[in-house]
Amino acid sequence: MSNPEMRIPALLLAAWCLLPVGARAESPAKQIDFNRDIRPILSNNCYPCHGPDEKKRKADLRLDLRDGLYSDHDGARPVVGGKPGESELYKRITAQKSGERMPPPKSKLQLKTNEVELIRSWIEQGGAWSGHWSFRSLEKTPIPDLAESAGARNSIDNFIRSRLREEGLKPSPEASRERLIRRLTLDLTGLPPTLSEIDAFVEDDHPGAYEKLVDRLLSSAAYGERMASDWLDVARYSDTYGYQVDRDRFVWPWRDWVVNAFNEGISYDRFLELQLAGDLLPGAGDEEILPTTFNRLHSQKVEGGSTPEEFRVEYVADRTHTFATAFLGLTFECARCHDHKYDPLTQREYYKLFAFFNNIDEFGLYAYFTGSVPTPTLLYAPKAHKQKIADAAEKITRAEEELAKIPDTRKPDFEKWLAARPAEPAIPGRIEHQDFEGHKGGANSSIPGVEGKAIRLSGDDEYHLKQGNFKRSVPFSLALWMKTPEVKDRAIVFHRSQAWTDAGSRGYQLLLEKGKLSFSLIHFWPGNALRIRTRVPFEVNKWVHVAITYDGSSRADGARLFLDGVPADCEIVRDNLFKNISGGGRKSITIGARFRDKGFSGGEIDEFQVFNRQLSALEIAQVHDGRSLRDALAKSRASLDARLVGKLREYYLHTADDAWKKGLEQIRSLREAHNNIINGTTEIMVMRETGKVRQTHLLVRGAYDKPGAPVEAGTPAILPAMKQQGAANRLGLARWLTAPEHPLTSRVMINRLWQMCFGLGLVRTTEDFGSQGQSPSHPGLLDWLSLRFIDSGWDIRGLLRTIVTSATYRQDSRISPGLIEKDPENILLARGRRYRLRAEVIRDNALSSSGLLVRKIGGAPVRPYEVAVSFKPLKRDKGEGLYRRSLYTFWKRTAPAPVMMSLDASKREVCTVRRERTSSPLQALVLMNDPQLVEAARVLGQRLLKKHAENSASMLGEMFRMLTGRKPGDSEKKILNRLYKEQLDFFQANPEQAENFLKTGDAAADKDLAPARLAAAGAVANVLLNFDEAVMKR
Amino acid sequence: MKPEICTGYDSSLGMSRRRFLDRFGMGLGSIALTDLLRANEQRALGGVLPTTHVPPRAKRVIYLFQSGGPSQMDLFDHKPMLKKMQGKELPDEIRRGQRLTAMSGNQASLPLVGSPFKFTRHGPGGTWMSDLLPHTSRIADEICVVKSLYTEAINHGPAVTHLQTGSQFPGRPSMGSWLSYGLGTENAELPSFVVLVTKNKGGQPLLTRLWGSGFLASRYQGVRFRSGKDPVLYLNNPPGIDNANRRRMLDRLKDLHQAELQNNSDPAIEDRISQYEMAFKMQTSIPEVTNLSTEPDYIYKEYGEESRKPGTFAANCLMARRLAERGVRFIQLYHPGWDQHGGLPKGLAGQCKETDRASAALVMDLKRRGLLEDTLVIWGGEFGRTNYCQGKLSANFGRDHHPRCFSLWMAGGGVRGGTSYGETDPFCYNIATDPVHVHDFHATILNLLGVDHEKLTFKYQGRNFRLTDVHGKVIKGILA
Repeated sequence: MSNPEMRIPALLLAAWCLLPVGARAESPAKQIDFNRDIRPILSNNCYPCHGPDEKKRKADLRLDLRDGLYSDHDGARPVVGGKPGESELYKRITAQKSGERMPPPKSKLQLKTNEVELIRSWIEQGGAWSGHWSFRSLEKTPIPDLAESAGARNSIDNFIRSRLREEGLKPSPEASRERLIRRLTLDLTGLPPTLSEIDAFVEDDHPGAYEKLVDRLLSSAAYGERMASDWLDVARYSDTYGYQVDRDRFVWPWRDWVVNAFNEGISYDRFLELQLAGDLLPGAGDEEILPTTFNRLHSQKVEGGSTPEEFRVEYVADRTHTFATAFLGLTFECARCHDHKYDPLTQREYYKLFAFFNNIDEFGLYAYFTGSVPTPTLLYAPKAHKQKIADAAEKITRAEEELAKIPDTRKPDFEKWLAARPAEPAIPGRIEHQDFEGHKGGANSSIPGVEGKAIRLSGDDEYHLKQGNFKRSVPFSLALWMKTPEVKDRAIVFHRSQAWTDAGSRGYQLLLEKGKLSFSLIHFWPGNALRIRTRVPFEVNKWVHVAITYDGSSRADGARLFLDGVPADCEIVRDNLFKNISGGGRKSITIGARFRDKGFSGGEIDEFQVFNRQLSALEIAQVHDGRSLRDALAKSRASLDARLVGKLREYYLHTADDAWKKGLEQIRSLREAHNNIINGTTEIMVMRETGKVRQTHLLVRGAYDKPGAPVEAGTPAILPAMKQQGAANRLGLARWLTAPEHPLTSRVMINRLWQMCFGLGLVRTTEDFGSQGQSPSHPGLLDWLSLRFIDSGWDIRGLLRTIVTSATYRQDSRISPGLIEKDPENILLARGRRYRLRAEVIRDNALSSSGLLVRKIGGAPVRPYEVAVSFKPLKRDKGEGLYRRSLYTFWKRTAPAPVMMSLDASKREVCTVRRERTSSPLQALVLMNDPQLVEAARVLGQRLLKKHAENSASMLGEMFRMLTGRKPGDSEKKILNRLYKEQLDFFQANPEQAENFLKTGDAAADKDLAPARLAAAGAVANVLLNFDEAVMKR
Repeated sequence: MKPEICTGYDSSLGMSRRRFLDRFGMGLGSIALTDLLRANEQRALGGVLPTTHVPPRAKRVIYLFQSGGPSQMDLFDHKPMLKKMQGKELPDEIRRGQRLTAMSGNQASLPLVGSPFKFTRHGPGGTWMSDLLPHTSRIADEICVVKSLYTEAINHGPAVTHLQTGSQFPGRPSMGSWLSYGLGTENAELPSFVVLVTKNKGGQPLLTRLWGSGFLASRYQGVRFRSGKDPVLYLNNPPGIDNANRRRMLDRLKDLHQAELQNNSDPAIEDRISQYEMAFKMQTSIPEVTNLSTEPDYIYKEYGEESRKPGTFAANCLMARRLAERGVRFIQLYHPGWDQHGGLPKGLAGQCKETDRASAALVMDLKRRGLLEDTLVIWGGEFGRTNYCQGKLSANFGRDHHPRCFSLWMAGGGVRGGTSYGETDPFCYNIATDPVHVHDFHATILNLLGVDHEKLTFKYQGRNFRLTDVHGKVIKGILA
């Protein structure tokens, strides 16, 4: 700095901005800070054309980097330190000619006078550049000394107060004990303190009483619920799928996991790791896999006619967006279609991050017809039930082993059979044979076939058989002649199912896919299915005999495809079928077409046969050529070669051997039993990597159908590199995030914890730590806390304890006229912060005070009164479902709980890290008239009337105290008395009104108390529930 | 109008200054004198825009949204060619391999189907309309039929979201929210953005986010008036509390707040007082506007007898006029049921019967009252329908979704009446001239209200968002 006298504390600038406008002209020269003062101006106005986005960059000039600012551009330098007149940047922003003026008028951007002035001063002061604050590593900031440390309680206060001192402000005194316990209890548990808790704390004058209180609250069960309430916003938690159809889904066990995790004191690094990548931890069990539901809580689509890939890409993008907002505090989603306009994040880097979340076996649509849970899933059940499933599977394995031994033990019986073998080539188990001789034509025409007539398919018209409703646990076989007129990209030859995308393809099906034949058994495609596919294309314009056998094992190797009587060379496409394939649609086979699928247009079919058992190879050959089995049976024993004997043995076992038959029957019933247990077990969506890594591509302009260059999973270059030993998967990503050198993870979380306690973060833009976000109000404090957080082993409770035990947190929130002029937003924290309570807290406060609250942790969501008046009204609960904490209120994404919405709850469409806080008359209507709150008021009145008998003064005093946490003052007592008296007069004069009032809500009115008194006390509580101190944190 | 309580959404100095800062998402470091002065002016207007950018032609909007996708070639876009080619396949050179929905996209055959309805020209401008719209035909002079709208979305969810919020995916503010945010309200005692949904209609589901405020403050979201006893959520006092008693209770609440103000000069307390006063006023003003019983018989006759039945489209049209009279900025109606995948001839006729008379009556009623000149009325859905039939061609055919062209009409404030804008090809498949993208449509609406669509922005997650995202141009041909 050239002029040492200009070293005015930087912080003065902010204060200068807070001054009443008239005072501005007298402000002293100020120290400009590039990051705080200049970068936002450049970012807003210049970066769109001279920033990180390479495609939009004009004149090859980049003003977001040091080099760009100082280097020579055709003889001009944007910034010449100390010389605004020689700096091209300054010349351009002050140019009068529209051709030279920056930003160009057609951009509709315009610098404000004071912004031009700031840039001039900055250049005069040397024009120093520095990197963006949030990407710099955490700095060990020295704790500022306080000349007068009176009242300071921990280092937070040193940071806050040293700044206040520079601004010429003084901290506020500590709030009253009553206020403190109310504030603290609401902040840490979301519930109000009870009267006895207030009394105990007010009377406890031991040093450390406050800390004791903090510890009690942090270890209460309500703490986990309070913390979870914020996390549900981040995780865009919803009990329904969202988008348009918005069906219910089963995800609340994840919510319970979050509550429990907080209550068990989980560290933040573990919390992240489990949710991002619990499934990838070595030896991961249900407990590690369940947290990954976090990644699946985005909206999901079912609307008919949608393009699955479009939505699958959207899901991956949502995961990526959530990751970046929740953990990095970056608006990475801006780089989905192009390089980020403001932050050094490229589009390529966006897709590198995207790649981490792109590798699960999912489909873009859930099933309209079948209700299958979108894959991948976890079978969600208690340990004992999971053991039952494992036991059932074990029994099958053992029975299969036993069956495998049978051929060897049955040699003599086979020889006996062989000696007296039948001449007739019997193929038992045929339950249907359609030869199409009787087909009269129509859209599907009748044509000459392999034998007699065949059918030619239109592609739009289904042809139904009578049989084919097979479970996955039973063996079956199918045979047909077919001819395709061309190489089909996709054609449905036959199927037993309801639909393709609209039913998750549940059932079984034979398809032509890219010219090849594929056979599948499917519960939900693709994550719960088996599929085999021929390696060579299906011959065109030729009748080919196709046969399929399936052994009932639910394994891909249990399904076989035969072409012209010979086993076809097949690859296994999927092998993960573990739930039923039945249900939905017709109970028999359909040929040639399927609902909203591509039919087998021009395809020809003849001689379709259905068997209710697994056919042996010789039988398949016989079905194909009509002689293989007959010939084999007719040969003399001597002329049978070993191969043919083997085939006959297989035929014998499958058709004539009793032991084999018994063994098969036993396996079938064991499989059935296993299938039944699993079918009755709910599933929950989780993360599970596919075996093969899905190649991620950069998507041109973000479009799902415009893949560009392939990219590999990786992290952005502006942040520390991933450690080499870490795998480039989600687990590696989680560990990268919590490596101590990561500049964002800790800062972002600390900021949210600060926001939870103070209503605003140290960085006000909780969702954006990039160059368009706000700089931290107290950067030193943010870094100090962030480092402390990491050093403590990411101890969330410990950090909260540090924050709430500071003198800064404990300050009175009262506002003096002078203070509001000087710091209207209370950025500097010369007083406590006050703001309206969260939607959940307002309702829980009323329920808790009235005694109606049902304290039960976790479980299925509940439907209180308000869901009955939502945009899509739901049937409300009766009984305890009406009185649970708001955390458990059923969340319907397209029509959320309307009271919560009017009180600014997050809509939970996308990851949200900060709620709006607004005030409107519509909120007043809700607080006055919501039956939930009216009922709570009335029950509270009843409770206190009973307790205080005829003493209305003490009844009113206690009511006031329960709802505000403090005793009423004299003037307030007078108002309360008057209010009660007026109400009593009214209800005594209008007994029918009293009766009516007492009918609101399901809770019965006490018959022993006079209705007028009950109604009057309820009306007073109704008023008090609308009183500032009942709805504001003070 | 007293700013403190005029909007009910803004209040005394401390709060509103803070909100002003919030709105612009700006740090204290970047606020200048002029901005603070402007903030005061804005409070008077109620919106964030100090003045409109271009002279406004309309002050308010009534949007008669026809959800489901009304068939353009059966209502407005006359295509005799389709009739001639009835049953023939959609030619490849017309389809050009563009994506179809997965509902008909896999059909082996896509047979063309002409409109079974008779088309005639109306008004001096000779606007084509089918005989399903006898009443709309009568107001042909007032309306501009835009035939060349298009979108990228092929399904209802994304398409409606696109039309209402400018983006196919959830999360953005709706058009009504943008306008409330930008222009504020003209009547403090009513919400500035009101939503009316036809009752008991099946069809594609509607979602609250269609009138949501996205990242704008929730006070800008649409307030849905229900047809039951509580037109807005919990408007009525609970049973047993009459209006006079509620007043007494609120007086005592005010006493408590005044007492609190004695030792805490927090403007939030004053704000709370004014919100309750506003709420109390709304308890009168909302029932007043929603009570249609004071309308004379001839009005019911014009809107159709079903306008006597609360929750019908006709009743909602009548209510829309009452709201417009009282200065509500954005009145959004939804009438579902236009998704004729099958049974189109009968289904479409039924839909028109429910909407045709009342839509036309609304326009004429506004005109008679001198309100049409500064009220913009829009009638239309989220996309069009295919020229080929979905499934098998039969007398009872249906049409699938078609995003590449669709029609809607606009009337009133600043719209060139008696005209059509844009043309589609003879197959009604692609646009031949003057395409209007959804973003252009939005830019044009904002322009009619005096707003430059590039200048009404909100900074969120580091970026200046607008209704038209980074697109949109004003379609001058629609403007009078």
